[in-house]
Amino acid sequence: MKHAPWFVFAGTVAGLVGILSFHTKPATSAALSGSAGHASHATTQTGSNGQQAPPAGVRTATGTTEQYGYGELAVKITVNGSKITDVTVPYIQTADQYSQQLAAQIIPTLRSEVLSGQTANINGVSGASYTSRAYAMSVQAALDKLNVK
Amino acid sequence: MVESAPFIRHAEHVMGTVVSFAVVPGRLSADSAMHAIASACAVLHQADATFSTWKPQSPVSRLRSGMATEAELPAEVAGVLELCEEVRKASGGWFDPWSVPGGVDPTGLVKGWAVEQGLAVLRSAGADAAMMNGGGDIAVFGSPGPGEAWRVGIRHPWRADALAAIVEVSAAIATSGSYERGSHLINPFTGQPASLAASATVTGPSLAIADALATALAAGGDDALSFIAALADYGGYLIRPDGSESDTGNIAFAD
Repeated sequence: MKHAPWFVFAGTVAGLVGILSFHTKPATSAALSGSAGHASHATTQTGSNGQQAPPAGVRTATGTTEQYGYGELAVKITVNGSKITDVTVPYIQTADQYSQQLAAQIIPTLRSEVLSGQTANINGVSGASYTSRAYAMSVQAALDKLNVK
Repeated sequence: MVESAPFIRHAEHVMGTVVSFAVVPGRLSADSAMHAIASACAVLHQADATFSTWKPQSPVSRLRSGMATEAELPAEVAGVLELCEEVRKASGGWFDPWSVPGGVDPTGLVKGWAVEQGLAVLRSAGADAAMMNGGGDIAVFGSPGPGEAWRVGIRHPWRADALAAIVEVSAAIATSGSYERGSHLINPFTGQPASLAASATVTGPSLAIADALATALAAGGDDALSFIAALADYGGYLIRPDGSESDTGNIAFAD
């Protein structure tokens, strides 16, 4: 096989990267802004200016429960300093079994994309499309609680 | 250490997905760049309003239901359908919006087309470089930083924590796959669900065409890949259901 798989603690769906405004280089230059519920208009600028030392230590927060296309869910994130180290979904309620199957497929993908957006040296990920709205907003809500800059 | 140029980022919810922007403003002020992004978003929403098959009053829905003829619809509908016909022929019929039940459905080309239109707005506004990612279908121009290429990871079809490959992209890249949520990839020749590809990626100058060709490659597997190989400006990268891979030899895989 010509291409060995790239294992990434990290990857990136630009949808989430856009919302979360991760910088793909050092995690310390990531800037997060916007507020949950308004992510569709959250235009942010990231760059090397205006960096502040991130809060130290490992912290967790759970975002608000958000409606998504097939039910509702909440997202819990763990950060160490300003770096997201884990993303889990402690609460998910779906209308039917099919939706649960969909969610089971989507959540790990989005999880890896949130994590990967911080570290992989890539600008975006090309993949089959999905709807990431509620998940991303909920991640944003968790991030806002932690005041990750 | 060279700092990458700062991006102005934006994420827009439209067409049932998220379209994200990374813009290198260059000589544009931040305000001008944001204005250009807003204009590009307006183009996306207009495309959604015109081409959505979910909105019963959209021009394309009216065409599908026989409430309107092509001649009565906005000119861009005819333009998109012409492109669809071009790709239908170029793909050996593996992309065929006319083969689906319920009337012509250009959805497999429209998202790429709309993103391409949006990117043209950013380019003509004078941005140095930009990337737009329409839920996994990506169009770029310019360079993300001095001497850099846009690097795009291709999602691994089975392992959510892995990329199948990284590709340097100069214009457009689209990926389709059977892991797609709500996927209804159909073999246009049999009408049965298609299962010849786990992941199908196409690169080339036009995202509209790459998007449709990725749909063709996902439905047609190796046979569709041979049609893509015959197109000078386009490249295909196929991961089969058994995990084996092939490509057309002209995709800029990064190390």
